[in-house]
Amino acid sequence: MLSTKKKSGRTQTMTIRPPQESGVVPEDKANAVELRNVSVTYGTTVALAGLELTVARGETVALLGPSGSGKSTALKAIAGFEQPSGGRILLDGVDVTGTSPAQRGIGVVVQSYALFPHMRIDANVAYGLKARKMPKAQIAARVKSMLAMVGMEDHAHKLPRQLSGGQQQRVAIARALAIKPQVLLLDEPLSALDASLRAEMLIELQALRSELPEIAMVYVTHDQSEALTLADRIAVMRNSRLEEIGTADQLYNRPASAFTAKFLGGASLLPAVSTTVVAEPGSLASVMVGAHRMKALAPFALVPGDRAQVAVRPHAWQVSTRSQETSVSAVNSLPGRVESVQWRGAGHRLQVDLIGIAERVTVDLPALSAVPAPGDLVVLTVDPTHVVLVPAGAVA
Amino acid sequence: MSAEVLHKPAPEYELPVRNSSPWRAWLWLAVPLLFVAAFFIYPLLQIGAQSFLDKSGAPVGLENWRYEIASPAVQTAVGTTVKIAGMSTLGALILGTFVALALSFVPFRGAGFITRLIETVVSFPSFLIPLAFSILYGRTGVVNSVVESLAPGVPPLNFVNDVPGVVLAEVAFYTPFVVRPLLAVFSLIPRELIDVAASLGSSPLAIVRTVILPAAVPALAAAAGLTFLLTMNEFGIILFTGAKNVMTLPMLIYTRSIVTFDFPSAAVIACLQVGLSLSVYCLYRWITKKLSGAHHAAAR
Amino acid sequence: MLLHAKSARFTIWAFLAAALLLLVGAPLLVTFMAAFAGSWNGVLPSNPTLDHVGGALATDNLSSLMVSLQTALFASLLAVLLGTWAALCACSSPANSAVSRVSDAVFHLPAAVPSVVVGLGLLTAFSKPPLLLNGTVAIVILAQTLLVLAFAYSTVSAATRDADPLIPLAAASLGASRLRVLVTIRLPLLLPSIVAAAGLAVALCMGELGATVMVYPASWRTLPVTIFTLTDRGALFDAAANTLVLIAVTVTVLAVIAKFRGKTAVR
Repeated sequence: MLSTKKKSGRTQTMTIRPPQESGVVPEDKANAVELRNVSVTYGTTVALAGLELTVARGETVALLGPSGSGKSTALKAIAGFEQPSGGRILLDGVDVTGTSPAQRGIGVVVQSYALFPHMRIDANVAYGLKARKMPKAQIAARVKSMLAMVGMEDHAHKLPRQLSGGQQQRVAIARALAIKPQVLLLDEPLSALDASLRAEMLIELQALRSELPEIAMVYVTHDQSEALTLADRIAVMRNSRLEEIGTADQLYNRPASAFTAKFLGGASLLPAVSTTVVAEPGSLASVMVGAHRMKALAPFALVPGDRAQVAVRPHAWQVSTRSQETSVSAVNSLPGRVESVQWRGAGHRLQVDLIGIAERVTVDLPALSAVPAPGDLVVLTVDPTHVVLVPAGAVA
Repeated sequence: MSAEVLHKPAPEYELPVRNSSPWRAWLWLAVPLLFVAAFFIYPLLQIGAQSFLDKSGAPVGLENWRYEIASPAVQTAVGTTVKIAGMSTLGALILGTFVALALSFVPFRGAGFITRLIETVVSFPSFLIPLAFSILYGRTGVVNSVVESLAPGVPPLNFVNDVPGVVLAEVAFYTPFVVRPLLAVFSLIPRELIDVAASLGSSPLAIVRTVILPAAVPALAAAAGLTFLLTMNEFGIILFTGAKNVMTLPMLIYTRSIVTFDFPSAAVIACLQVGLSLSVYCLYRWITKKLSGAHHAAAR
Repeated sequence: MLLHAKSARFTIWAFLAAALLLLVGAPLLVTFMAAFAGSWNGVLPSNPTLDHVGGALATDNLSSLMVSLQTALFASLLAVLLGTWAALCACSSPANSAVSRVSDAVFHLPAAVPSVVVGLGLLTAFSKPPLLLNGTVAIVILAQTLLVLAFAYSTVSAATRDADPLIPLAAASLGASRLRVLVTIRLPLLLPSIVAAAGLAVALCMGELGATVMVYPASWRTLPVTIFTLTDRGALFDAAANTLVLIAVTVTVLAVIAKFRGKTAVR
């Protein structure tokens, strides 16, 4: 039932845990959520394969990935909605694998809100408290403060169908937080809202996050901007597996995989061959992209001849037009021909076919800059610090 | 809701078939209407007329009615009919709700097959069940002969030809009538609703009570009304159990007309039965309309 | 999804299995075993025999079966025809118009009245002029038609309500006449539900007892009436054998109809 742990601030007491056979790094505090090699299968379909994940108290981890990548399944396993076929799930160091959702005391907000349609808003928020047999007066006070927190105190006596999508979402969050959970799971909470409301709710979620310093949050989304805004760490999911996990900065600027580079930020990938020795990961490497020389950040060691890919974000390119097909020899400059131009309100997006390399790259031009026309010959230039090498071969 | 929504203009398109004038629609409907009028309404009126005539066809005014309403046989039959229908409906509701809940929310491989099996059984003749009961539990049935051979002297089971046997058979036959609409309603309840209720700390029983059953109230009411109506009108099951002391109104009508050829008496009882059935039917339509209307509004 | 503990799930399944076994399994199984039993004095029947089933397929009972089949098919055909006709009329008028309200009330009504009363009514009304039907085959068919008409009507009219109203409109906009829209668009779209209604009607007619037992002439005895007579006499095993044959034939007819229905389904 309701876990009655005291709020103990950021400083955590040491928890004694059994020694682990696998050389897991010892932690100085119990993680709010810990998944050890968790797999979920439906019949013969593997929905989640061997997920390892920890979420510390006060931390927000976003599970980011396309549909079918296993991110929602991971959330359902944590909530107890799905039973894992293998692995263990720990909450605050306690193994909860096999227990029912009711015993876990986790707050869950789902995409469809799942408000109880026949109950008024206050009854929806009070639902979890009634299940805990809390005294009536306390319930009323808690419901009031929760609704106030999400700015819905004026709607307490309405039915869910009388509220807009954004309002329903706020009630769903208030309902999940009313039981004072240690862990809050959010499954695509904004995807049912329209674009402007989504941006607004994102800001509110950010504010809410700072009001709840103790809660561990797991946020499932397919939208990179939500993940970048809210998450301390992002777990990129792909094909039922964890592709990569790291801080937003790590994943965005130094993605370790082609998939991450492409999914988080829509980078263009170009095949490259190393021409230098890189002994120390993180330094600049020289590579050949087709017949062109490029300098790029190498997050891993390289020797000449190693194959890799360079990843460049759409907005990192500088575009200059040129009148005719002169040879381009400067480092980090690639000649190309504009294939299409798309106006996107806040700027233009170009598709540019590279000359001499059978690749197409995406280029975002900021607003107010000169825009080439389709068919124009251009030179694309990029600063070496905006080019990062990712391993070759991985299908993006 | 804003005023614009309330004063929404009618849809711009009208179906062409709806442009036909009302009298033309009546004309087309006349064929099936005449059939029902000639072979259903007219016969019912004839029963009504018969109830004021004696056996030779001479008018006797309210004589038949006075006699039948005062007769203990008819009074008991009304009580028995309502009692058996009530008990059977209650049993079918409880059992049917359990079966539908289990099939919908505790799924297992083969649940789909079971559902189809239940739907097939609905189209089997109702007397299958009392017949099987008679073979199993009848006075000379299997259970009694086994008991007799194992422990002679134990009084034989004899519930088949009595109220419990009839109620049990009707519960068995009419449970699928409750299961089917409930399965349809349960399939519309989003799984997230149940998951979230569980994560908020509700026990399974509490989820059934607070989340699932409230959504099923209209379907439950409709199923209860329909089952009560059908069990009140049930004839085949009672006839087959051969229960002499389970004399419901339909059984009484059958006995008076076919066995003793007392048509005036049968007509009066039939009028009583039709009045009772139609009242239940109207109540059922009214309740379902009201509940489904409320539900429809809730969906908006 | 409701129960997370395995033990709780197994408990529920055990109860479900018990309930279904008693409701569905036991009657079918007992009828099946009794149909082939020479005697049944122990837990299981003994002296297996084909006599009862053979008897069910011999002259007298076989003619009952044929009577049942013919009655059911005729009555169902008539009921589906009238029910579809009425449903089409009702859906062609606005939902709250008098036409659709009257047809909804009238065509559902026969199902609300006990079958015995339907039989008594036919007997009372048509044993005297202007129309003498008592003692004819027609009165049996009429009785069964009335009883299944409501089911046919409600099955088809449910489908007309669910049908997309824009499809006939699109056909009309392409220049099709009203009759053409009916024949080429509306009826084909309704065909699955019409076939389903036919299946339901046949099944209900095959097992109909209440009205039939009131009106049947001695020369036109349906199988349920025969089964009742056998039960009344105490010939339970013969009754079981005849019931088994009745169910087998009904299921066969339904399977044929279902096959036809599969072909008519719109993909």
